[in-house]
Amino acid sequence: MVRSKSQRMVRMILAWIVVGLFFFPLYYWMTVAFKEGREIFDIPPRVFNFTPTMKNFEEVFGISFGFGFGEQREVLPGGGNWYMTPRLLDSIIIAVGSTALAIAISTFASYALSRMDFRGRHHFVGWVLSTRMMPPVAVAIPMFFMFRDFGLMDTHFGIILIHALMNLPLAVLLLKSFFDDIPREIDESAIIDGASRFLIFRRVVFPMAKGGIAATAVLCFIFSWTEFLFVLTLTQTGLKTVPVVASTFVTSTGTAWGNMAALGTAAMIPAFIFILLVQKQLVRGLTLGSLKQ
Amino acid sequence: MSQSSAMQGRFWSFDRAWPWLLPMVAMLLVFTVYPLLYNIWLSFHEYAPLKRRLVYVGFENWQTLFADARMWASLGVTLFYFVVVLIIQLVLGMALALLLDSDDPGMGFLRGVLTLTLVVPPAITGMMFLLMEDPEFGVLSWFLEQIGLLTSSTPILATPATALWGVVLADVWQWTPFMVLIFLAGLRSLPPEPYEAATLDGASAMQIFRRITLPLMNKVIAVAVLIRGIDLFRMFDYVFVMTSGGPGTTTYTLSLYAWQQTFSFIKWGYGATISLLALVIILVIANLFIYIAKVRW
Amino acid sequence: MRDSDRKQYLAGLTDRYVNRRIGRRDFLRNAGLLGLGAGALGSGMTRPFFGVSQAFAQDNGLTPSKDILDWVRDVSKPFAGKTLRLATESTPPSNAINSQLKKYFEEASGMKVEIEVLPLEQVLQKMTLDIASQLGSYDLYYIDQSWAASVSNDVFDPREQIAASADLAMPNYNIDDFLPALVDGIAKYGDRWVGVPYDIPIFMMMYRKDIYEKMGFKAPGTLEEYYDQAKAISKEMGPDMYGATGQMKSGHYSLECDWTAWLWGHGGSIFTPDGKFSGNDEEGLAAMEYWTRLKETMPPGVTGWTWDGQGQSVAQGVAATMMSWGEFFPYFDDPSATKVSGLMEAVRCPKPKKALRTVDQTGYGEIPGVGHQGGSSLAVSKNSKNPDAAWIFMQWATCADTQSLITALGGGTGPTRNSVYDDPRVVANRRVGPGTTRHLDVVRETIAKDMGSEPDLPQWAELSNDTIPVRLGKYFAGEYSSAKEAMDDIAQATDKIVAG
Repeated sequence: MVRSKSQRMVRMILAWIVVGLFFFPLYYWMTVAFKEGREIFDIPPRVFNFTPTMKNFEEVFGISFGFGFGEQREVLPGGGNWYMTPRLLDSIIIAVGSTALAIAISTFASYALSRMDFRGRHHFVGWVLSTRMMPPVAVAIPMFFMFRDFGLMDTHFGIILIHALMNLPLAVLLLKSFFDDIPREIDESAIIDGASRFLIFRRVVFPMAKGGIAATAVLCFIFSWTEFLFVLTLTQTGLKTVPVVASTFVTSTGTAWGNMAALGTAAMIPAFIFILLVQKQLVRGLTLGSLKQ
Repeated sequence: MSQSSAMQGRFWSFDRAWPWLLPMVAMLLVFTVYPLLYNIWLSFHEYAPLKRRLVYVGFENWQTLFADARMWASLGVTLFYFVVVLIIQLVLGMALALLLDSDDPGMGFLRGVLTLTLVVPPAITGMMFLLMEDPEFGVLSWFLEQIGLLTSSTPILATPATALWGVVLADVWQWTPFMVLIFLAGLRSLPPEPYEAATLDGASAMQIFRRITLPLMNKVIAVAVLIRGIDLFRMFDYVFVMTSGGPGTTTYTLSLYAWQQTFSFIKWGYGATISLLALVIILVIANLFIYIAKVRW
Repeated sequence: MRDSDRKQYLAGLTDRYVNRRIGRRDFLRNAGLLGLGAGALGSGMTRPFFGVSQAFAQDNGLTPSKDILDWVRDVSKPFAGKTLRLATESTPPSNAINSQLKKYFEEASGMKVEIEVLPLEQVLQKMTLDIASQLGSYDLYYIDQSWAASVSNDVFDPREQIAASADLAMPNYNIDDFLPALVDGIAKYGDRWVGVPYDIPIFMMMYRKDIYEKMGFKAPGTLEEYYDQAKAISKEMGPDMYGATGQMKSGHYSLECDWTAWLWGHGGSIFTPDGKFSGNDEEGLAAMEYWTRLKETMPPGVTGWTWDGQGQSVAQGVAATMMSWGEFFPYFDDPSATKVSGLMEAVRCPKPKKALRTVDQTGYGEIPGVGHQGGSSLAVSKNSKNPDAAWIFMQWATCADTQSLITALGGGTGPTRNSVYDDPRVVANRRVGPGTTRHLDVVRETIAKDMGSEPDLPQWAELSNDTIPVRLGKYFAGEYSSAKEAMDDIAQATDKIVAG
């Protein structure tokens, strides 16, 4: 579609304004992370004119910027020890692990669902989707007993498993729709050439669907990164992820807003890096036109 | 050649669907069927704090459920929230996806920035908006007061007329980019030929969108709507953090109610009963949608 | 409170230097231990207080007593290598133990202590799952007073533990040192002790000295006087200053806390002796009438605030008084977090308007009193696989020495033991500054004379977190035509839940 230059300009400006609006709450939250307690609650709220401090980060990550890096420091806001670096690592391990697992299982499954006809496929997909419909509150308690019996309680592997599982319906559905967009003729001609299904999957379809897989991986990562209830119920002291430890900033003596914002801000970074890495695949996108030639 | 038909005879063949599906089915069976059965069993029991175990109560939970005015009120709030937010996110998400579906310089960056909202855990998002919508110290309340849309005597989250919209705002902020991300992936995979043909025929942008883009995207849209719809129906974090369901019961959702019964009052049986009801309702809605939208998987 | 102890001790050190109680050389030596030159002291005093507290704490005698650690070392020999687990709310004592003190215990005992910090309702959930599944994954329970009834049979009575195993009992543990009012209000259920009192947030009256002087007011003696003062301040100094504030978020426990203070203060009670809800009687309605009036003197945002927003409204100079959790007081004195450092004064709550009901006139062990308490107890679980080891830890965590350190290091939290209030390390912190203890005399007096305790019944969690605050929230949102209608509705719902 050919558009005039002025149309493109308008579109660019509009895009910047809209994304700017979406970015503002994040920006404001970041400023909270860099503010001293008394500035967070100034009236009128301070959006640009505040005195930045690293104090909140020092307290949350045990890093004293004046003195170099250190391990756990005893920080005492209301007696609190909010040393969160290990929790950030837990989050990364779990999100990456569960994304890998979910993607591995769901690419296989959705390839079959996209390419092979079998009776009841429509209902089978419906069933897969329905496994996401159970309210998490209802899953938490049976899972607790199950994890206890399987020895998965309080382990990274257990949480990776449950997060992968939680993401399967989403991943399968999305990937299936992406695979569906790749013409079946490609598979069929490869079969005539003597290629096995598995070879086609690995060499032809998988590379073509990379963009879709990347998008799906981003979403799986995000859902695992932000999941709250399973981690809360199925862990004790062995591990905790960011959303769960963030709730400890709400204390009986008030909420540590600055520290919470510092953790929230820092926790955006690993996730953003993951998205950026995957985004390359995303932007390249699926260009079906070129495939069809 | 008949190589493929020869392979079909073999049991352990990748020409059959089941070896591909096996890992997924195994996981789903173990980890979802058991909880479902457990919840059905649980809905006929109740935790007795003084006996410290579950006791059989028959249909009591189910009877309570249908007579529980609070439950019906929460169901109403949930359905209203579900419809309103889904429509906003669908329309806004599509508009933004179309806006950002461009290779002009900077657009890739903007797409990346937009997905940042998804990275924030919903519980923290709730706290963010709680702070911004605070009647005394919040930047959003302050701004709305400056432009005269709000007076200082109407705290957004504590006024029945506005509380739910305060929550909707957080949800729309966080999850519209989810729709954008999925729609963009769909838009980027559309074949260019129909567009070229339509442009040659002199079709307007609106016509192209309605006649070509929407039909080609229908499956992606369906997936996005289903996934988001399911999650919206289970929404809990925002109301839990921002309003505790208040003022009164104006923002009580079904999930919050079930959470409270389960976690705060240790009524596991009744919590399970509410959850099962929620499951049945969303199953009906989802299947209705699949039927009406003529989605074939 | 929400600041590092480093700052607090440096400030103390500087005080002493300025007052010539220590020489320049000692001062510089101590400052050197803090990792900073004298020049840095003048420049902001914000940064360099991290990671050096241990040296400094040792220098100031803020380490556990050697005798007690020796005892720990002695009795723990059979338990070396064991791991003890505790799930707790994020409260000052638990945080102080977790971050500062448990390492001493671990070193001495050879045991490992893992403390899981969670939101309050999660603590309840984890405890219930642990009890229901007999899992024994937690060795100690942190028990909010409202759960005492439900778990009283799942924990050891500390007096029985002392009697049962004399060889494990800490010498001079002195269980009678716990404030009797707290034992009654928090730990006791029937005749059993459900652990020992562990923390004690309690309502007291905090007000801005400067504003009260300007207005020519004295600390309010009665509730009616308090209202008049609040109204006058809102009128004179408004609209940017309010006379009172509150924690009145609909559907939140904090709203119920505020309610009980006004209810008890008007001679009312939650329950009658025969277990019926009595918030809708004459006294109950007088309390509602008072509260509705008083709310007019509060910032309009109170209906969206829990204790956090309430505390902030005072800390940021929006409200002049606050009758609420005394735990906020040390926070107000922190100049980096608030605008009212040194301006706040703490006194006992105003006198009730009508004589308080006695325990005999109420139901379920409810104790009327304007000073609402929200304390918790600590107890060893009967499901624990190492109850003896857990008992050693519990004695150590709740002994007078550790409790004094918790108060000193944990930012001026209210102690549950009488002797801790007089401990020199606690008394030394009675100065303006973060983590001050200058309010603790009022806390002790409030506990002894004004304390109000909620009833103990298994349904109380539901009543106090939902039934009552949701309907009160509706009332303040204007969804009832009158206070009477609201209270009648609460009465009906409560009686139904209590009847089961």
